[in-house]
Amino acid sequence: MAEFNTSIKEQGAVSIINLKGYLDAHTAPILENNFVDLIDKNRFQIVVDFKDLAYISSAGLGVFMAYIEKIRESNGDIKLAGMNNKVYNIFDLLGFPLLYEIFNSESEAVQKFTEKK
Amino acid sequence: MLTSYLIKSLGQKNPHPSALVLNIGITCAFIFLVILFAENILNIQIQSIGERLVNQGLFENLVNTFYGLIFLGISSYWFATFKEMYFYKQYRRRNTYFITMSVFIALSAISNLLFRGEEYEFIYNTFFIISIILISFNSIKISWIAFISKKEKISLLILSMIISALFILNLLNNGKTDFNGTVLINFSPTVYQFFNLILLYGGIYFVILFFTTLFHIPTAEAYDRKANEVSSLQYFSKLITQVLDIEELAETITDITTKVSSADAAWIVMKQNGNTKILANKNIALVDADLINQFLLESGICDNITETKICSLQKFINKSLLSEKFSSIAISPLRSYNEVKGYLIAARKNELIFYEEDKTAINTFSDYASVAIENSLLLEQSIEKERLEKELDVAREIQKKILPAKDPEFQYLSVSSVFIPAFEVGGDYYDFFEISKNKFGFIIADVSGKGISAAFIMAEVKGIFSSLSRMIESPGDILIKANEILQGTLSKKNFVSALYGMIDFEKEVLHFARAGHCPALLVRDNSVETFKPSGIGLGLTDNTLFRNHLEEIKIDLKQNDTLVFYTDGITEAKNIEFEDFGEQRFADILLKYSNESVNKIANEVIKEVTLFSRNHTQYDDITLVILKWSKKNNIDGVKEWQNSTPQLKSRVL
Repeated sequence: MAEFNTSIKEQGAVSIINLKGYLDAHTAPILENNFVDLIDKNRFQIVVDFKDLAYISSAGLGVFMAYIEKIRESNGDIKLAGMNNKVYNIFDLLGFPLLYEIFNSESEAVQKFTEKK
Repeated sequence: MLTSYLIKSLGQKNPHPSALVLNIGITCAFIFLVILFAENILNIQIQSIGERLVNQGLFENLVNTFYGLIFLGISSYWFATFKEMYFYKQYRRRNTYFITMSVFIALSAISNLLFRGEEYEFIYNTFFIISIILISFNSIKISWIAFISKKEKISLLILSMIISALFILNLLNNGKTDFNGTVLINFSPTVYQFFNLILLYGGIYFVILFFTTLFHIPTAEAYDRKANEVSSLQYFSKLITQVLDIEELAETITDITTKVSSADAAWIVMKQNGNTKILANKNIALVDADLINQFLLESGICDNITETKICSLQKFINKSLLSEKFSSIAISPLRSYNEVKGYLIAARKNELIFYEEDKTAINTFSDYASVAIENSLLLEQSIEKERLEKELDVAREIQKKILPAKDPEFQYLSVSSVFIPAFEVGGDYYDFFEISKNKFGFIIADVSGKGISAAFIMAEVKGIFSSLSRMIESPGDILIKANEILQGTLSKKNFVSALYGMIDFEKEVLHFARAGHCPALLVRDNSVETFKPSGIGLGLTDNTLFRNHLEEIKIDLKQNDTLVFYTDGITEAKNIEFEDFGEQRFADILLKYSNESVNKIANEVIKEVTLFSRNHTQYDDITLVILKWSKKNNIDGVKEWQNSTPQLKSRVL
């Protein structure tokens, strides 16, 4: 199966997770670990950058749902950015735009976090 | 006590030469003391006791005989022990040399009794000299020294020095004129001579042993290392039996690595999903191992290594962070199918370093370790695979029972459904409900996740919709209720996309609502219309938000309306270039066959999808439900049902 990996960079209080490749039931644990690590470090302002993501399955979408409650309770948020049309359509179909803020680019998402302060 | 000890030590099978040497040493010291104090003790005893006896001469003889027998016994014991050591680790049997020597010792001893006269002195001398030559010759054969460890060699060096001195002293104190000598000669000149020859043998043997050991000491370490290499081969067989448990295996490997390479610590690091994971660590803290791993893996030292490499930790910047002072590292790749899967690392500390010679042992062993780890991982994989397949069988079985066995049939509505399961059960679910005489409900849903967990959620979803469809008519309300239930039962990361529809045969309308599911398609008048009312997936959010965004659509049905419902298994079916089948291809086929029967349309769609994604695994379940409305509308728009009561065709069971 196709590869998936993530990289995390810090920009002030905001952590940016970059997704690359194919996010499905088999690769979802990698992203889950990223969220767990960030929550452990009390970093609740998270932007997920989708620009290098080629595909996401329902199990991949589930990862965002698993941690959003906890993050929002801690006054943080997960903001999604940089989705291609195909990936956006999958999110859109499920109604994710009603649940998450979705931005065109990572920098817009980061800006939204900093503006709020 | 002494005798029982002697018997015990002799009774041992293949006793270690060091133990034999020690026994000789003890007995030799005993004899030394006996000889030293014999005169005093013996004379005093004989005198003090003898005075009280009638037959003094007899008593004296008895004591002397007993005394002589002790010496005979001990010299025989020594002789037996020498023989034992002579044959220890001899690969070629050199019986003749030893027998010849024994014969000459015997001859020499006997000649001492027979030829005491001056003229025959030469015979006695000849035997004596030949005995000494043979004794010296046989004393050189001490091949067993090579097989003992360095530590034992050092203790042997000291022991052999003391013992040889004792033998020589005993020999010097046992001259013909000494007290002991005279007693023994009186007892038997043969025994006297035999005893002397054995003392001589002991003296020569241990002097030679001393020097041989002395010369062996510098090479002792090299020998020890070679012996370790050999034993690493034996360890390999130990590894093979442990492949069932990878962690236990890894522990054994690190344990043996420290032994084989005389390292202070050893650990195994495996590559995993771009990260590294320490599988086992011996004598090193995980933190330390992590630090060293980082240094080794990031410095590029480990790039393309094909065999054991020795590196110094001098350039290691974070060396001060280590809790122990590791100084030298030997890193060996663990390979399988020519790919480096991980590393076996050994470390020495306190300025001790690894030498090139150490490499061979570690390298040989790491090759074995690679094979063992590889086997273990393969075994684990195949067990896991089998378990997964069993699990999937169960999941498929559940899914099969949950899905409707047959498509329903109605007078004005034809229904066709196709379901193709993916290898890993994808969680697709569809169902038909005969709500009442004039109402027909249906659902198509996709549960997130795969396998057995998806199958269980499907079962739950089926239960929810079967009961809700009986109680509530409005598709929107059913979905809202379903969301409320699922929100409470599903785990956070699970959700269900669903589309629920209800056809009213009397009113000739379709009501439907969508909760995160693929849109509904309507093929009418040679065009495909997509209906995507707003709606969030079930179980994703609380009911307020869900309700606020749920939209219900009503479609008035016209003759030949073809309604198509599906799961993303169709549109996301991939071809070899990883392209999606997509909505456009789907719509094109629907249009092309829109005038055909529902079964024909469904078959054509599936045929096309299968053709498109041939040579590519089907990752997700495929579900397709096609409905076709065949009732003719009145020209004035007044619906026919007003004139004739529509009838539900009974389902064929």
